[in-house]
Amino acid sequence: MEIRISGVTKQFYPDIVALRDVYLTIPQGDFVYLVGPTGSGKTTLMRLITRELVPTKGQITVGDCNLRSLGAIDLAYYRRDIGVVFQDFRLIEGLTVYENISFVQEAIGMPKNLVRERTGEILDRLGLWRRRHLYPEQLSGGEQQRVAIARAMVNCPGILLADEPTGNLDLATAEDIMSILLSINASGTTVLVATHNQYIVDEFRQRVVGIRRGRVVRDERKGRYEADGDL
Amino acid sequence: MSGTKGKAGTRRMAIFRYILRDTWRLLARNLGLSVLTFVTAVAVFYLVGASVLFVMNTRAMIAGVESNLFVQAYVKDGEESMRTVAGKMQAMECVASVETITPQQALESLKARLGSQADAVTLLGDNPLPASVQVQVKKAEFATVVARELIAMPEVDDVVYSGELADRLGKISSFVSRLSMVILVICIAAASLVLFNTIRISVYARKDEIETMLLVGATPAFVAFPFVLQGVTLGVLGALFASGILYFSYGYAINALIHSLPFLTLIKDRELVLRLGIVLVGGGVTIGWICSWLAVSKFIRAATRPQ
Repeated sequence: MEIRISGVTKQFYPDIVALRDVYLTIPQGDFVYLVGPTGSGKTTLMRLITRELVPTKGQITVGDCNLRSLGAIDLAYYRRDIGVVFQDFRLIEGLTVYENISFVQEAIGMPKNLVRERTGEILDRLGLWRRRHLYPEQLSGGEQQRVAIARAMVNCPGILLADEPTGNLDLATAEDIMSILLSINASGTTVLVATHNQYIVDEFRQRVVGIRRGRVVRDERKGRYEADGDL
Repeated sequence: MSGTKGKAGTRRMAIFRYILRDTWRLLARNLGLSVLTFVTAVAVFYLVGASVLFVMNTRAMIAGVESNLFVQAYVKDGEESMRTVAGKMQAMECVASVETITPQQALESLKARLGSQADAVTLLGDNPLPASVQVQVKKAEFATVVARELIAMPEVDDVVYSGELADRLGKISSFVSRLSMVILVICIAAASLVLFNTIRISVYARKDEIETMLLVGATPAFVAFPFVLQGVTLGVLGALFASGILYFSYGYAINALIHSLPFLTLIKDRELVLRLGIVLVGGGVTIGWICSWLAVSKFIRAATRPQ
């Protein structure tokens, strides 16, 4: 599914413009880093793609779907094809690792045997099988991030959005998370990563879209992090 | 084709199982709140049931008195006038029955009442008793209206009825009806408020979970259903327990009343309480459904409305 962002402006209050006339096309299977200083509009762009927000001007289409015209039911079905890794993980405290991953499948009516099979598979793939009975507060930051990725991935979405997936993680864990995201991308999933992490952008070089003050200021294949502009 | 149908069936079954499990989780996770709501629902539904039974028994008592309440009109010119008056009365909406009493029937009735002293009537010579019309009204409050109608008729000589009793019964009847309506409205409002707040607290406690569910593609109905079922379960359980308590306490109270006040016309049939129980459970389902739906849909609408 291609993501096409055409002339999108997002204004929150009369004087806060988060995004300004953004044009961006992300083909199916692309891996994109969204880089830019805090408050530049990276998270807003992701929230526009998940349709938590609607543009003040312009339009976003994902595949054949114009996000502005989605009704409540269509929105639910659209979101089943989008995996989101939140900056603050948003794991559910009262549920175990296993339940945190299985509930998103149950929420879309997946049969029990398939839920068991796919949860087991993803836990195994992300090295969480032995942690499956633990609760989020019993996990390290890196493990919580893995669970968040597992939850975003388990329904095999066409697009994966990860907001600061390596934030607050040590280098080794960040590398580990990045290799997971790259392997997901290798299987055909479009991956968008909003990040401040210069090391991972330079180490795992992919397409880099720089955003400053709500505008796209650069878009480079195999780009690098620009400490002056992106920080 | 059958494979697609089979898949859809499995999916629906999985959703159904999830909803049931989630409803149970909701009830168990907020156990204190669930118990409190259940107890309140029992109290409220008991109060509703008790007030309905009170009203029905009061009405039965009033109806008992009303069935013996007649307006008697004595006519001036014999049986012709009697038939005219009776005809006019039968045409009135508020009249339950009309009976004509000829002078001869009146005399026979007097003799019957006098029993062994019936011979004393012969001292009167010719029958001096007038023809009359006995009117039974549908409700006590209509007695005065009927009496006024009768007095205004040229054929009528005199009207006899228990005017004060009729007025009082009418007032009591309408007061009891209004009071029961007020109690009913207060009880329903209280039950609704308690259920609404319980569900709202449950929704709020799972705010993050709901938002995450909506973000991963759960439909609003799927998210709302466990909360709605939680509300319905609490409403139904409250109504069921209230009906049970009502059944036994009504039996006990009615036996005690019949024993100490045997002249009262009371409803002894306990099947009435069972029928009332069914109505209460229906009320529990309706109130539980509406309140929880309102509480959860408001939140879901806010969560899915893009900013």
